[in-house]
Amino acid sequence: MNDGNRENLKELFEKFLDAEQAESCVEDVQKAEQILREHPAPEPDDMLIANIKAEIAMRLPAGRTRRTGVFKQIAYKVVSVAAAVIFLTAIGLRLFDKRGVEPNGEQYASIISTAIWESDDIAAADANLVIFTAEIEQIEDEVLILQLGDYDGNGDSSITELEMELIEINNSDFWKG
Amino acid sequence: MAKNDDLAQIIIGCKNRDSKCFSQIVDMYASRCYGYFYRLTGNNDLSDELLSELFVKLVEKIGSYKGGSFEGWLFKIASNIFHDYLRGKQRRKKMLDVQKKQIESQSTEPKQSDNEQIDKLQIRLRKLDTDTRELIMLRFYSQLSFKEIAVIRSEPIGTTLAKLHRGLKKLRELMK
Repeated sequence: MNDGNRENLKELFEKFLDAEQAESCVEDVQKAEQILREHPAPEPDDMLIANIKAEIAMRLPAGRTRRTGVFKQIAYKVVSVAAAVIFLTAIGLRLFDKRGVEPNGEQYASIISTAIWESDDIAAADANLVIFTAEIEQIEDEVLILQLGDYDGNGDSSITELEMELIEINNSDFWKG
Repeated sequence: MAKNDDLAQIIIGCKNRDSKCFSQIVDMYASRCYGYFYRLTGNNDLSDELLSELFVKLVEKIGSYKGGSFEGWLFKIASNIFHDYLRGKQRRKKMLDVQKKQIESQSTEPKQSDNEQIDKLQIRLRKLDTDTRELIMLRFYSQLSFKEIAVIRSEPIGTTLAKLHRGLKKLRELMK
């Protein structure tokens, strides 16, 4: 064995022993190590060395595969988390947008359907409304004639008839839409 | 210095998972590590196993080598492997029956396989206790300084010096 890297033994022993004892110790150590040098241990078999090298070579790609597997696992987790974040963000934005569109004022229950309400042609949208509107206009005209005194006789019966018509209108489903 | 630079380059290669660099490390240290295991166990087959385990561990642990004495780091692993083997051996021993234990305790001579040539030194080494034998082999095969050996063994350098001196002196006497 090579002693090149070894420290000065005598100096080392002198830290613990006197010079004479240190000298003796160094001699003991050197002679014993000489015995070890004279009796070398057997060398490892060439086949063993070849097997060890083969096993190392086999383990190295396995290490890489394992590392790749770990990276894949991490990547899958990151992608899953990212997908979840994107999904939740999209839902959050949608809800936020809906809230922004909501009218600030109060909402009322409608007795007239939206289609009729928003229609530009009421006659086409609701025939009943047209009929009742026409009747109301006729009654208004008759009331106006009575007030002006232009009515031409049988007044009581006309008033009675008018009252009957008003009762009929009140009892009809007109106001229910 | 050039040798140290070469070794540093090889270790960098090993850290980069270069199989050629690992092969170089095997070529550089297999003989010494095998001698270390053989002198501690006295058995070729067992030394083969422990040497293989050492280099497998080297591949696994090379990332944890942070500089300093590579021999010190490598032989620390070798020492741990040997101690693991001893612990396993003790466990196996406990599992044997009393009769087998008695036979084993009576047998002081090492078992010899057909192709194994037990030399005189190996027989004498058996007379030393395991700790002293390991210390002597660590010193001889690792070529580490006493200071480095003391660090590996987690003991004061004076203790290491005294144990080694006593062990080598006894070995000299046994070899006479």
